[in-house]
Amino acid sequence: MTRRACIGLLSLGLAAGLSWAVMRLPDAPAGLTAAALAQLPESGVTNPVTAVLLNYRGYDTLLEVGVLLLAMTGVWSLRRGEWPAGDLRDRPLLMSLLRVLLPMLVLAAGYLLWIGAFAPGGAFQGGALLGGALVLALLGGLARRLLRQEPLLRAGLALGVLAFAAAGALALGLTGRLLQYPRGHGGAWIMGIELATLISVGLTLGLLYLGGRPEKDP
Amino acid sequence: MTFPRTGALLILMPLAAAALAFAWPGHGRALARISAAAMTAALAALTREIMAHGVQMHRVGGWGAPLGIELRADGLGVFMLIIAALIGVAVTLYSPSYFASRQPESAPAKHNDSRQNTPSRQAAPPTAKSRDEDGQPHRTRYFWPLFLFLWTALNALFLSADIFNLYVALELLGFGAVTLVALAGGHEALTAAMRYLWVSLAASLFYLLGVALVYGRCATVDLPSLASKAQPGPALWVALALMTGGLAAKAALFPMHFWLPPAHANAPAPVSALLSALVVKGPVYILLRLWFEAFHGLITPAATHALGALGAAAILWGSVRALVQPRLKLLVAYSTVAQLGYVFLLFPLAASPESGLAAWSGGLMFLGAHACAKTAIFLTAGNILHAAGHDRIRDLDGITHALPISAFAFGLAGLSLVGLPPSSGFAGKWMLLSASLAQGQWWWIAVILAGSLLAAAYVLRVLTHAFTRVPNPLTPKPVPPVMEWTALALAVAAVGLGFAAHGAAELLQVGAPNAVASRDNNGPPAKPASAQPQPQTPPEIRRLDSCPESTLPGAARPPHEPSPPDRTAHPGAAQRTPGPKGGHELSEAGVQPRRAAICLARQARRRSAGGWSA
Repeated sequence: MTRRACIGLLSLGLAAGLSWAVMRLPDAPAGLTAAALAQLPESGVTNPVTAVLLNYRGYDTLLEVGVLLLAMTGVWSLRRGEWPAGDLRDRPLLMSLLRVLLPMLVLAAGYLLWIGAFAPGGAFQGGALLGGALVLALLGGLARRLLRQEPLLRAGLALGVLAFAAAGALALGLTGRLLQYPRGHGGAWIMGIELATLISVGLTLGLLYLGGRPEKDP
Repeated sequence: MTFPRTGALLILMPLAAAALAFAWPGHGRALARISAAAMTAALAALTREIMAHGVQMHRVGGWGAPLGIELRADGLGVFMLIIAALIGVAVTLYSPSYFASRQPESAPAKHNDSRQNTPSRQAAPPTAKSRDEDGQPHRTRYFWPLFLFLWTALNALFLSADIFNLYVALELLGFGAVTLVALAGGHEALTAAMRYLWVSLAASLFYLLGVALVYGRCATVDLPSLASKAQPGPALWVALALMTGGLAAKAALFPMHFWLPPAHANAPAPVSALLSALVVKGPVYILLRLWFEAFHGLITPAATHALGALGAAAILWGSVRALVQPRLKLLVAYSTVAQLGYVFLLFPLAASPESGLAAWSGGLMFLGAHACAKTAIFLTAGNILHAAGHDRIRDLDGITHALPISAFAFGLAGLSLVGLPPSSGFAGKWMLLSASLAQGQWWWIAVILAGSLLAAAYVLRVLTHAFTRVPNPLTPKPVPPVMEWTALALAVAAVGLGFAAHGAAELLQVGAPNAVASRDNNGPPAKPASAQPQPQTPPEIRRLDSCPESTLPGAARPPHEPSPPDRTAHPGAAQRTPGPKGGHELSEAGVQPRRAAICLARQARRRSAGGWSA
């Protein structure tokens, strides 16, 4: 009981301290919004969020894509995954739903990737849709052949980090700065990096559903 | 190769190698070796460059401080990079033989490889046996990408000049470390890894909360420019408290060290070495950056003394706990808790106006010494586990007969842990002691001496067993020579660094924060500082050409107008923008204490050369 009381008191103190700090923050936060918007024409995209993620602070995103691959490596190092047992071939109604749904999801993921340059969207949002599509396919027992292609899966998972790192190194060679895209070509570079990231993010989210590496039981 | 390229190589090379090692299992060892060689070469070039030209900055993406991220290579960062490379290369050499040897890791619970038997699964699957058999190759296969990710995280951490980017690097570091602990498998290791994960995640979130508050108040996350923007006030006090709490938990500062001993003791030996030598040093490094650089204006002496007191408590508590541990790896893990305490003594000592730089160099010297010595000891413990199949200290009698090289390595590394001359542990402790003496803070002296005695006791406790002559010494499994020699090489490095104390102090003064460098004009009686021949003129410090903050008056919240990035003005130019220094110049007054620190380092070396009589 005393332990709970201690934890409660600590949490209360934390909440009080945080509220105190937040109340004393400036009313009109002196953020970097104006600066980010001012540089938008230089960035190669018109969506400020994408500009921050892939250009102004692209280096952070490079490391974050690394964190995703690290998480996947960690999960695969722990155990074998469990393949979903379902099979939709004997359930025609669900099967026909998936037949329509899966292509639509892949299409929507591609659309989100493309629209990310102008409006909310981008590789991570598209990747989430792609991951959802993969989970649906796994549940329906449709992705078994894909799961057996382990080398292909590994390559796809590593693609985002490899392409992003290669782009960084190439940019360094071309412009003398890490991840500074050549003038006027920012949009194309960002789209290329995002495409690779989309594939890796989608595969990561989908395959995490297995809870382990996709090796079959011997 | 010059800075932006060397720095980019140090980050991109291990990252790409980690991704390749994941995509292409079976080639991890070759990839690790290639990248270790390339990184060593790049690091050598970078060290030479900053010694000659001072601090190097690089604007990633060409945007510059408030909007973009900057990389920075200064003395402290490069010093940490060198330590990381030293340990990284040793682990690269040691690990293949270690994982090939297929010995049970640490606990008897290990034998049923419970990696496959998660608690959710009640009955063991019928294929349990075949699963067990493939357990070992998997450890090697996944070790390499995880290890390379960890190395990436460390290099990114030590090169970053941006507190949000530091958070991303911390995440990479924390997840890599947790997964490497879990790699050992077995009930104990998985439990320790899970606890480590919770602490690490919670601590990261506290740090992130602090970063958010700092951004809300100062509208920047750039480390060098925060120094001029951070005005004391509730938001920043709370932010600094949150960040310090989170980082101290990650650094296992007493009393938040509870997660460290099980995690470090149950991991595979090379992983334990990485964790003790490097992973816990990452958060300490960020703390140094925050306390002495970004938020130095907010720090009160009482706060630094509070951190120092926790460090002192860690020294005493960790050493006493180490004395009573039954298992070697647990003893070494508690010793890590104690030794980290010494590094925290740096806070009260380096913040003081007198001989601050000596304490700064001494504390960091100690950090490097501990990294080498602890790696050597954990690798030795791995050899003992391999040879004897256990690490119960009681039953180590006569292990010297079986593993003479490992026993010698243990002895040498122990020398540095205790802080006996001529080791680097001695050089670090000597500089800390001199600083506390000069500042009249005698209580730290008492703690340092008591900690050294306790360290001698726990090191000797192992050595007496190891060197006991027994009638029929056990016939151990042969240990591959590379495992023994790597441990010995690091033990020799732990001692040898003591002779390089002068070079290290010189490196550490490149871009040393204002707080420790330029405040004291009357440091210790700087033994005729002129006596030491300056190999080169002091690094020329020029102002950062476009540091908008330094031109702003220290107004609390200026309507922020960042200067447009110079990509249009002079594209491609200024890729080597020297000397951030946060807008202060190196004055004659600043040079004096630096000389004093170097002088102290030399003095320590002379002492150690003279041995006990000195």
